[in-house]
Amino acid sequence: MTAAAVLDPRAARRPRPRMFLPVIPAVLLVLGAVLGPLPAAHSVDKPVTAPYGEAGTDAVLGGDQLGRDVLSRLLHGGSALIGSALTVAVVVTLAATLLGCFAVLHPRLGRLVERIADTSILLPPVLGIMLLALAWPGGGRLAITCAAILLGTPYAVRIVASAAAPLATAGFIEAAIAGGEGTAHLALREILPNLRATILALFGLRFVDAVYVISMAGFLQLGPQPPEADWALMIRENGPGILLNPWAVVAPGLAIGLLAISVNLAANALAPATARRAALR
Amino acid sequence: MSSTEVATQPVAASAARKAGAVALRIGAVLGKRLLMLVVLLAVVFAAIELLPGDAASATSERGEGAAGIAARRHLLGLDRPVWERFWDWITALPTGDLGTSARGERVSDLLAAPLPNTVVLGTTAFVLTVLAALALGIWAAARPKGAVDRVVDLTSTAAFALPEFVVSIGLLLVLSLWTGWLPAATVTGGDGAPASWTMLIMPVLALTVPQTGWNTRIVRAALADQAATPHVEAAHLDGLPVRRVLLRHALPGAWPAIATGIATSTGMLLGGTVVVETLFNYPGIGTVLAGAVADRDTPVIAAVVACAAALITVVLLLADLVRARTLGARS
Repeated sequence: MTAAAVLDPRAARRPRPRMFLPVIPAVLLVLGAVLGPLPAAHSVDKPVTAPYGEAGTDAVLGGDQLGRDVLSRLLHGGSALIGSALTVAVVVTLAATLLGCFAVLHPRLGRLVERIADTSILLPPVLGIMLLALAWPGGGRLAITCAAILLGTPYAVRIVASAAAPLATAGFIEAAIAGGEGTAHLALREILPNLRATILALFGLRFVDAVYVISMAGFLQLGPQPPEADWALMIRENGPGILLNPWAVVAPGLAIGLLAISVNLAANALAPATARRAALR
Repeated sequence: MSSTEVATQPVAASAARKAGAVALRIGAVLGKRLLMLVVLLAVVFAAIELLPGDAASATSERGEGAAGIAARRHLLGLDRPVWERFWDWITALPTGDLGTSARGERVSDLLAAPLPNTVVLGTTAFVLTVLAALALGIWAAARPKGAVDRVVDLTSTAAFALPEFVVSIGLLLVLSLWTGWLPAATVTGGDGAPASWTMLIMPVLALTVPQTGWNTRIVRAALADQAATPHVEAAHLDGLPVRRVLLRHALPGAWPAIATGIATSTGMLLGGTVVVETLFNYPGIGTVLAGAVADRDTPVIAAVVACAAALITVVLLLADLVRARTLGARS
């Protein structure tokens, strides 16, 4: 990219409506998943066809390994996944924002955060989730949500801290310190309002990551337990019958794929280029 | 002759001092990374300790009395203090002794057969990811805001959000169900390895696609950062061909960011193998791990965590070296 492209004034003056265009699919999909149970024709735990029954008029996408209606289970299966992913994204973003703002004002806390983030990167998320699922056998979805929060926060704090670091030495902060303001005021009133772009980008990426981690745990049967109609769990349960009724696996696979892609594209579009680049590191 | 000796002496002395400083810095980095590894393993060990049940009761036979469980707990050494067992475990690790599973087998024996299979799968996916990400990133950077750049940006963004098991389903559908080109599940030959190399194609692709998405974005962003630096802009204004500017002027400065990105994707790749191996019934560590989770066989899981963390430490150290070399060359 040349300097001309970087300094392209048109990029800065992009009309707002076009900026929000990539967000629409994600919003529609989330809304659809939340309202999905309403139009579902059958209950999620009553067989209506033969096991792996073929698609017909009664069950548009056929039956699953117990003959339950795939479409109804698909319509029911998204809201809990999206709910826990949103919870993780909100909690991690809030915790990281607070910790990050305080970390730049207290170098010792900052170093501690840095060390913890460096250390936690050595533990692949899947292994971390397995450890927590072992420690909390009946935890189900709640255990996975907690694991995703624990595993995601250190990295997120580092992103906020690196975005806030240049602010800590900025003139207006030094003026506030000289004015005798306390740490809480400095962190929340002076630094935080200047991090909006970073925090927005962080939230989007944390949501993408949470969908990834939570659905992975669901696939490994560590989170939601049968007979719950979780998309990832449906894929795992119906895998053996993919030759008999591919829809039982393909439909939830498509649902997770579309959710992950659309949310990621939305996050990407909302985040300004500088924040996006900071979040990539 | 003597005059040149006198002239070179201070130079040699300063070179030696410089080499000493470099060795010291490498030692410090190495020590820091090793310390982090030990801290993580201690945390994992302590976390396992906090489990409500332990391996002795998780693997108990039906009708086994409390006395029997207590006897096995003693046999597995579970009645000794935590720190003592952690010390024994971590000092034995470098010798290749990974401890004893809840069923009394040596963990290193349990992992010996599936480990090479996972290494083949992971390494192939890693190499492919690096090559594909570099090629795509450089291709996109050659014409910023061009059609290729836009398409690569969109597809890499979409790909890196996809969980490996979703990619696997897509591959299964296309390459196995519709075309019948590849077998849907892995069949193991007599030696414990997959019976045919074609059974590696889908697992490797499922691992490569999301990681290539992630790394392509990092390569592209790092090249864009470099393109804005004065020396690259100067080379561009001098009318050098775009490819030459990218490869000779922009890429060298971009290596630290690229190396860090690749290093972080090692962990994701290792995690992905667990999932992909389960889906394709591939005879690797992931299959052992899934069984260990069902058995609550914590020594096995701790051993796998230790191996994974050690591997990631090595990759991060390599990334540190790349960064140190690039920054050193510049100063």
